[in-house]
Amino acid sequence: MNRWIGPFVTAAVAGLAAHVFTVQAAPAFIMGRAMDAMEQRGVQLHAFSLAPRTTPQTQTVVRPSPDLAYSVCRFDFDQLDGPLTARMAAWDAYSSVSFFDAETNNFLTLRGDGVAREVVLHGPDAKAQTGARSPTARGLILIRRLAPTAADYDRVTRISASDLCTADPSPAPPPALEPQP
Amino acid sequence: MARGRHILTYGLAVVAGIVAGGGSALALSGLFPGFGAMSDGTIDIEGWKADFSAGSDAADPYTRARIARHGLLALARSEAVYFTRNTDDQGKRLREQCRYRLSGGTMPAQWWSVTLYDADSRLPMNDDGALSIDASRAGEQAWSATIAPQAPGEGLWLSSRKGGAFDLTLRLYVPDARLVEDPAGSLIPPRIERLDCAGGEG
Repeated sequence: MNRWIGPFVTAAVAGLAAHVFTVQAAPAFIMGRAMDAMEQRGVQLHAFSLAPRTTPQTQTVVRPSPDLAYSVCRFDFDQLDGPLTARMAAWDAYSSVSFFDAETNNFLTLRGDGVAREVVLHGPDAKAQTGARSPTARGLILIRRLAPTAADYDRVTRISASDLCTADPSPAPPPALEPQP
Repeated sequence: MARGRHILTYGLAVVAGIVAGGGSALALSGLFPGFGAMSDGTIDIEGWKADFSAGSDAADPYTRARIARHGLLALARSEAVYFTRNTDDQGKRLREQCRYRLSGGTMPAQWWSVTLYDADSRLPMNDDGALSIDASRAGEQAWSATIAPQAPGEGLWLSSRKGGAFDLTLRLYVPDARLVEDPAGSLIPPRIERLDCAGGEG
């Protein structure tokens, strides 16, 4: 009987370690795969890309909303010397710009409320007193705009050209807003 | 000889532990393929389940893993809350072979939508263009829609074609503060009434 105690305890310790490791590592693993998939689909680093209108054929993440237009910017502070500026152009319906770290945490969200929003984002080791700080070096910035119809999405296509995700320390000012019906 | 058997026994113990520990973690976190998005949830309003810690580092590790698998890039509750339901009003599993009436009224949020997903948390692979309804189409007052694999003669339609055993996600963007504080007391969620099923099962 006693000869089984050692293997049993070994199995229990290994099982507990594997359980904790799997649960803790899953979000970062899934986020990493999602970011890698975006890179392979041409989503650039430090630039916003407007995703095609969401349909069953174009979906790339789980549970996308067909009513929303998504623009995404990947960031990696390991490849930057300074902060990143993220700007969301104005939209006349619901819009938000949200920031996610490599652990899937939504560490900042700004609502549009009909006006443009801009955030200076710093890396996790930056000492800056202003702007926002990302908890991890890598992450995603996601703009959501309510666009339930094809006509709405077409308007987003034009508006989103004014979105900005750049390491340029002096980005150009936002262009004048175009009239929106 | 005895030493070799000793090493083999402990090696098998480690492997068994890793398989059991890793497997239980995947199961409890809903990470196995085909496992649905439904968690026990901290909130359950008439079958619509939600965990308002989605998108937050305050969520427990199992919830964070489940959200990463089934709702990656979910927003924090101050911006949006998500409810998911996979049963009708009688508690039976939602499925493609049946028709349902989805009905509701005003929601305590700036904007809402209901979207249909398959068991893999994907939009079903059909080209009906009818996988979601939202406040802009349903209006501000009482509304209803038909969930079915074929379009109804009139009214709003959510297509379940190629949805299999599907579920619905109710999104509430810019939720009222009272919804976040007291969800059960402020949300009257949509009802899901089963109308009929192919093959006659009612």
